Amino acid sequence: MTVVIGFEGSANKIGIGIIRDGEVLSNPRRTYITPPGQGFLPSETARHHRAVILTVLQEALEQAGLKPADVDCVAYTKGPGMGAPLVTVALVARTVAQLWGKPLLGVNHCIGHIEMGRLITHADNPTVLYVSGGNTQVIAYSERRYRIFGETIDIAVGNCLDRFARVIKISNDPSPGYNIEQMAKKGSQYVELPYTVKGMDVSFSGILSYIEEAAHKMLESGQCTAEDLCFSLQETLFSMLVEITERAMAHCGSQEVLIVGGVGCNLRLQEMMGVMCKERGAKLFATDERFCIDNGAMIAQAGWEMFRSGHVTELPDSWITQRYRTDEVEVTWRD
Amino acid sequence: MAAPSSGDTNHESGKHEFALDIPFPSSREAVIALQSLSPDREPRKGGISKQLSVSGSKLSVRWSADEARILRVSVASFLDHLSLVVETMVMFGPPVSQ
Repeated sequence: MTVVIGFEGSANKIGIGIIRDGEVLSNPRRTYITPPGQGFLPSETARHHRAVILTVLQEALEQAGLKPADVDCVAYTKGPGMGAPLVTVALVARTVAQLWGKPLLGVNHCIGHIEMGRLITHADNPTVLYVSGGNTQVIAYSERRYRIFGETIDIAVGNCLDRFARVIKISNDPSPGYNIEQMAKKGSQYVELPYTVKGMDVSFSGILSYIEEAAHKMLESGQCTAEDLCFSLQETLFSMLVEITERAMAHCGSQEVLIVGGVGCNLRLQEMMGVMCKERGAKLFATDERFCIDNGAMIAQAGWEMFRSGHVTELPDSWITQRYRTDEVEVTWRD
Repeated sequence: MAAPSSGDTNHESGKHEFALDIPFPSSREAVIALQSLSPDREPRKGGISKQLSVSGSKLSVRWSADEARILRVSVASFLDHLSLVVETMVMFGPPVSQ
């Protein structure tokens, strides 16, 4: 029996989760939500996490019904992500690991998403679309690495959505992407936007600039509604993601797609991906908001896999890093 | 006698220095704090360096910075981090026997 506690706080969510042999025992989380029109900055986000982290840790242990002695390993997000929040969380993880006399494990945040997706959905060897506010990658496993087949060459798709939400000043509660999704359902006019797939990769910063300008012009003149723009943006962005996912599937001969990351909660994206999968006779896997949005249990799960295959992070090597490629980690727990 | 050359800087390093000593209830706890606080690099690449060390049950930190404002930012940040580590130790300590 192996029990791992995982600490996650690389963006505006702070979550601590406990997993015992594939069972999620607890997974409490708090989100730092900024007023409409504002994004979250590193120092304020770190301050938010710092204020709640010890309470969330208490909750994680209480809800799991465990004592620190029951934990076998302390996992935390080494990166990638925002510097100040990552440090805040790593400090607590390092301290409790030492207080409790448990080994420490630095986990790659992207791999946390992948391993949680695999655990929850039981997908065998899927092409993974990892889409969030901070990351957009198409990943496939090959020979001990999660290889990046395609990715954004500038901003993440979730970042594009979040920044557009600020332009039209919609609420960030529970998340800007969720509110765009609800508004998109009421859109009726398709506004043509740039479509920027570049081979295996995608680009979103140009679409963002375009729609920011279009929003000012068209909303003022009444040519379309904000709902129409939300609808058009989703259709464009998601079509691009479906295209590069399909391209990777064709390269790998894959019959499974797994969507992970906060943008993976979007039902329209799941619907569009589902249509493509059906056409190819492939299966689509996705998780619900408990696990596709950043959470502690996903770090615990990746930590569980890593710990059982012999990984440990020594304290002097436990520094956090804002840049951490998914393919930098040797995936020793898979053949 | 000629004016000092531009390469002559050793007599006065011109650095801003700050020293901080924090007592802990035990040497073990001072070491725990040291090992939690030392792994991360300074966010700022140049102009500041700090050294952490433990002697007895005391954690010592020594800063050396090019400018006062750089020093202030680093010290303020360190104090925030230190207080989080101490709070964690109070809430989830004492350390288990080794």
